[in-house]
Amino acid sequence: MDAIAIEKPEVAMSWQGVVRFLHKTPRAFLPMRSFPSLELVAGRGIEGDRYFVGHETGFYSHKPEEGRQVTLFEMETLEALRRDHKIELLPEEHRRNVTVEGVPLNHLVGHRFRLGETIVEATRLSTPCRHIEEILGKSVFDPLINRSGLNCKIIAGGTLRVGDAVRPI
Amino acid sequence: MAKAIKTVSTVVSKVEDLGNDTKRFTLVDQDDWELPPFRPGAHIDVHLGQGLVRTYSLCNEPDDNRRYVIAVKREREGRGGSNFLHDRVEAGQPISVSLPRGGIALDPEGTNVFVAGGIGVTPFISAIRHLERRGRSNYVLHWTSRGQPVLPDMIVPAIEAGRVRLYDTTTQAKPVIAAIVREFVGSGLAACCGPAPMLQAFEDAVSAWPEERKHIEMFTPPKVSAKSDVPPYELYLSASKKLATVTPDVGLLGTLDALGVDVPVSCGGGICGACRTRWSEGPPIHRDRVLSPAERQNELIVCVGDCAGQRLVLDL
Ligand code: FES
Repeated sequence: MDAIAIEKPEVAMSWQGVVRFLHKTPRAFLPMRSFPSLELVAGRGIEGDRYFVGHETGFYSHKPEEGRQVTLFEMETLEALRRDHKIELLPEEHRRNVTVEGVPLNHLVGHRFRLGETIVEATRLSTPCRHIEEILGKSVFDPLINRSGLNCKIIAGGTLRVGDAVRPI
Repeated sequence: MAKAIKTVSTVVSKVEDLGNDTKRFTLVDQDDWELPPFRPGAHIDVHLGQGLVRTYSLCNEPDDNRRYVIAVKREREGRGGSNFLHDRVEAGQPISVSLPRGGIALDPEGTNVFVAGGIGVTPFISAIRHLERRGRSNYVLHWTSRGQPVLPDMIVPAIEAGRVRLYDTTTQAKPVIAAIVREFVGSGLAACCGPAPMLQAFEDAVSAWPEERKHIEMFTPPKVSAKSDVPPYELYLSASKKLATVTPDVGLLGTLDALGVDVPVSCGGGICGACRTRWSEGPPIHRDRVLSPAERQNELIVCVGDCAGQRLVLDL
């Protein structure tokens, strides 16, 4: 796998990562809950998540965004926050759906890659939200600039599980 | 881009009439999901529609994380919030609330002395339930009420253990607050919530105490994301022909909000660019991390922006 990737011009695409945590929440501001698996639906999002397209009911007023059907976050950022800023940010607190390890998220914008049995396409880097400080009572906004995760579109859906591999295509 | 969601959507699951003109409302998520966390004695803004927003202390404790419980006394002479809640809000109704704010920094070891007047007991009920749940008894509540106190059902173990001192002012004299707090002058925390004269007496009694050892419950206003330190200026919106004054406490974004202008806001912190807006008179104060110097010549990131002059004109 790596050998094949290295033969391609994109050397930077030779990596292999793993899914460490999966989270979702049905509405804005509500705490994220951890799950052993999530159902990813192509073109729509994660079943039961706040950004799922076509889930707007009653006073649910979030307009889902095309490019944010699933969001990813690097495990390494949590470690860096602990090391460099002495901030303990837990996987359920960064508010992205998939916490991965060994995946260079910031280099994937515009690329498609495999997330377990699913295929996603990275649309843009996530930006942190001011509310995160209010919700958590932790000063994480500045430290999260430029490493707040990745927004993706789901190209091929399926079940995503903790422990699944994340690979370039 | 969608307009940013600013409130938590909840549903009224229960309304209880406690007598003495007081009702207790339990708010939950429609799917019984956990609600955003809070500290003991925190408060929320309840959005009642048509700009009617009122702040109430939560009376449940942080570990009870799927409900927000508030108790509301009807203020017949009030500004309408309590009457609206009493007359118009029923179980099953949706209701929007803010994220919880504030709370009491309890002393983990020393004694926490709570002084409450009437319905002002609510933040201390939250604090007492929090301490009791942790098996702590390092507190005492002095609770003044006219007639039967409401809500004692929420702190039954505390009352049975003798940690609550009740004063019914229809039959008893009011307690002397200075005398209550005197024995704790050297350690612990003293906190008060109640009518203005009670707060004043408390403030006088603890005036010499260090700040971190006293808590006077005043609802803290929501944090303005970009705290403004510039003098007030005039804001004119050239497309919609609207005029307003921007004051430091409301800020530019708050003023736009009040004018009903739909500016897309995402990060609220000047880094995503969602709220970029053209300006024609200023000069504006730029605090964003998005725009280039050239772009700043005619654009402003309004979520963190301000005006250095007397008048800001935005193309909205
Ligand atoms: S909302 Fe993100 S820059 Fe203003």
